[in-house]
Amino acid sequence: MATALALPAELTIYTVAELRTAWLAWLGEALAGADPDEPLAADASAVDQVDTAGVQLLLSLANALGRQGHRLRLHQPSGPLAQACQLLGVAPQLLGATPERTA
Amino acid sequence: MNSNDDSDNSFIREALPAFISEAQEQTEQLEQLLLQLEDTPDDRELLDALFRCAHTVKGSAGIFGLDAVVGFTHHVESLLDRLREGQVVLTPALSTLLLRCNDEIRALIDAAANGDDDGVVPPARAALITSLQAVPGAGAAPAPAPVVTEPAATGVRWQLSVAFGADTFRNGMDPLAILNYLRTLGHIPHLVCDSAAVPELDLLDPESCHLGFEVALDTSAAQEAIESAFSFVRDDCTLQLQLQPQTGSDTAPPTPPAPTPETTATAAPKQAQARVRDPASAAAPADDQRFIRVQADRLDAVINLLGELVIAGAGASLLARETRQSSLIEANEQIGQLIEEIRNGTLQLRMVPIGETFSRFRRVVRDTAAELGKDVLFDIVGGETELDKSVVERIADPLMHLVRNALDHGLEPPAQRVESGKPAQGTLTLSACHEAGSILIRITDDGRGIQRDKVLARAWERGLVERGVTPPDAEIFQLIFEPGFSTAEKVTNLSGRGVGMDVVRRNIEALRGSVNIQSRPGQGSTIEIRLPLTLAIIDGFLVGVGNSRFILPLDAVVEVIENRPTTGSVDARGRACVELRGQVLPVVSLRALYALESPAPERSSVVVIQAGVQRFGVRVDQLLGQHQTVIKPLGRMFRSLRGMSGSSILANGEVALIFDVHSLSQLAAEPAAPTPRVVSTPSEGLVS
Repeated sequence: MATALALPAELTIYTVAELRTAWLAWLGEALAGADPDEPLAADASAVDQVDTAGVQLLLSLANALGRQGHRLRLHQPSGPLAQACQLLGVAPQLLGATPERTA
Repeated sequence: MNSNDDSDNSFIREALPAFISEAQEQTEQLEQLLLQLEDTPDDRELLDALFRCAHTVKGSAGIFGLDAVVGFTHHVESLLDRLREGQVVLTPALSTLLLRCNDEIRALIDAAANGDDDGVVPPARAALITSLQAVPGAGAAPAPAPVVTEPAATGVRWQLSVAFGADTFRNGMDPLAILNYLRTLGHIPHLVCDSAAVPELDLLDPESCHLGFEVALDTSAAQEAIESAFSFVRDDCTLQLQLQPQTGSDTAPPTPPAPTPETTATAAPKQAQARVRDPASAAAPADDQRFIRVQADRLDAVINLLGELVIAGAGASLLARETRQSSLIEANEQIGQLIEEIRNGTLQLRMVPIGETFSRFRRVVRDTAAELGKDVLFDIVGGETELDKSVVERIADPLMHLVRNALDHGLEPPAQRVESGKPAQGTLTLSACHEAGSILIRITDDGRGIQRDKVLARAWERGLVERGVTPPDAEIFQLIFEPGFSTAEKVTNLSGRGVGMDVVRRNIEALRGSVNIQSRPGQGSTIEIRLPLTLAIIDGFLVGVGNSRFILPLDAVVEVIENRPTTGSVDARGRACVELRGQVLPVVSLRALYALESPAPERSSVVVIQAGVQRFGVRVDQLLGQHQTVIKPLGRMFRSLRGMSGSSILANGEVALIFDVHSLSQLAAEPAAPTPRVVSTPSEGLVS
């Protein structure tokens, strides 16, 4: 079981480049020791600022995991993040089809 | 981007001034909206408009690559968005913060105009950003669910397909903000993100945009309005708009992301596809197509040329008359009429409503009142009154001073007001109206009024009035406009340093205007400013002295005493008195005052002039009648000539000097000077 990925407070165009590098490193580690049935978790509670570039990066991460047969699970998405996902129509992909995750 | 960098750069260089001016208007509007919202903090329309303003500034700044503006405005926009969504409530403190942020945006735009976008975030701006982010409400995890804004009661449903270009993020645009903007236009019952094009993490350039959206939008807005939401990304986005048959239900099944051509053809009664690639229109949002921006100096050049044309036209018609060919005369007259119409129309182009200038004071009043601990209701009347732009620009500063002065000295603190039986909230009214060919601006407060005795005491102390002499009240009030006069007991940082009121009067008089003050103790004061509508043209009264021609402003001419014998004694400066309906009228002779070398005729006329509160007569040889004329400034050599405000060229090519009645009256009232001012017979040489 790999450590959960902690999403930063700022998930925007200003941070996506460095985040991508960091996440790629995490992805390598996480995939190495991951159980295919277990979704990989990312702690999304700290996200305070988010824009479309940030959401796109999350989508890309989810796609990368999906290609390997894994799922990305956003743990406790913060208000701004959950709202951005809703507004951009990507809540089904990132937050799961049912909203019980936020409950 | 399909245009090459060179043409891009030159486009940006040319369009930048337009952006600057538009962005300044947007910040102006932002400020007005914020101030309006202080009265109605949950007015949805105002909040939407507020968001749109910030969005527009950020958007167009992005096009011009003004990263500092984009970066900062982004934070403001985010907060405004939260306000709009009802996650944050507009408190007075928040309003103040947003006003300060708006100032910062304005400063950034000014900096961009001067080309110093250095990319360094000064501590003050960083502090503002921190405060913006610290506004509570964000962390409180609002229900992320349905973004219902307002129901589109009578709208139609549009299906939008948009694929954002790769450079969208790099250009400072955020599709999230654009979708939010769309939500201000109507209701989005359905939205699907097409993320199929997003590469995997290891192949992703995270700063490129790979997203597309399918959006259903219920709105009554026009197609252009919907398209305008995308105006900042038009360069590189693909947008398709399709009108859908009205389903009347928000629970319509999701439309498939990419409708096949068959379904489109059958399902859409009217199909409007717009693939927008129009960089030229990107700088101008859809809603101000009614205006064209013109540089003021170009307009001035046209007006100047028109002045020449009027003169040339008059010369031509004179020549035509000499030929005695009736058809030629007629043709010339027609041309003359057309020239007149064109001139009036062109002068009209310079007219702007004064309301814009007035509403700028809302903020001043708000901040100043808060600083002084006073509660003030600011009222604007007659903001639609029009006057020449150059006058508007130059009156703003004197007005600002008078408004501050009224707030500081005129209105009392709430406690004192209640004590004297007045409502705790003071009223300050700024009004404007047209009156007899000029504009009348009034600044009225219901404060303590001018303390007549204090003014008089100060005037005695300063030697402005001889000790013990008590002039009439009106003259005492007028003393506050004297240089070096201030009655403030303590000097505040707003006013009371004793500079200002005399400068105010000087500035107003430089505009050929006058300022007058009325006051009633305990009930408030009214300051009246009278200004000409335009500086470019004057309705004049043409008079002749010997061979010289002079023009007196017609507004100032009260009456004319015609054809009197030139009698009575005059002093060295040509001053005398005549009796007019039982009253003594001081009369000044232009021939003596300006030492014109021509023999005085036996009979002469007196033009009675009103300068402020006083009247005097001007003795002239001939009355040549009313004359509307374009004012030309005096040449540099003649700037120091006193009593004159400009010159004009008459139809026969002669130069006429235009009097400034105020300085003429001052000049006439001075004790005899040892050296007479000599004016040669005016000739073309006077005008530069």
